[in-house]
Amino acid sequence: MNTHPYLRAFLSGILVPTLIMPLFLTAFIVLRLGLQISVPIERGIVFPMGLVPIIWGFWNMLWQGSHSGTHLSVGLHGTFLPFLLLPLGTLVATHAGVLRLGATHAIWFSSIEIPYGLIALCFAAALAGYYLVWKYIVGFVNRVLGIA
Amino acid sequence: MNTHDQDRIQQLLREALPPTQPAEPARDLWPAILQRLHAPPVAALRTVPLFDWVLAVGLFAFVAIAPATIPVLLYYL
Repeated sequence: MNTHPYLRAFLSGILVPTLIMPLFLTAFIVLRLGLQISVPIERGIVFPMGLVPIIWGFWNMLWQGSHSGTHLSVGLHGTFLPFLLLPLGTLVATHAGVLRLGATHAIWFSSIEIPYGLIALCFAAALAGYYLVWKYIVGFVNRVLGIA
Repeated sequence: MNTHDQDRIQQLLREALPPTQPAEPARDLWPAILQRLHAPPVAALRTVPLFDWVLAVGLFAFVAIAPATIPVLLYYL
């Protein structure tokens, strides 16, 4: 009997970003329609709302397919995901016109300047966050769905 | 095949195959399962390694110190 482990791995992987997605939508509606902020937020949320959940799903499918050979824990596997998301998100944001890369700062929405040192700290924090989320939430859902 | 042959085959099979272990566990496992299901969440928190606690505290401290980084973190979530 085919129990579709990869489908279950995909569904388990997209759970966390899918739960957060309504918060992005709510923030967008409040900022754009409620507070009438003219910043092009819709260009900025394409990546977190459109691509990130799918990437999480495929990343968990990759873990499902490879962990019998690599013996990598799901937490550690998830820690590697920001190494893919950072350049991909930066590429999407620069092409969407919401991010410009300066000599010492990254400039978001032509107004918010963030020094690269702070972005490096953000990246380190993201690694810690991803490790914890993948270990405790994605790992838990994987166990519930019977793929771990 | 007559009855004698069948008895002979049965005897040979019994001699060739090792005796099987009892399939059921020696004790009732259901009380242990119930105990795990009804275990308080504090017990589960105690199993979280110290390293993970340090990471979680560091992450919350970073976000509290530099709240301007929250949108950047959310963007890459």
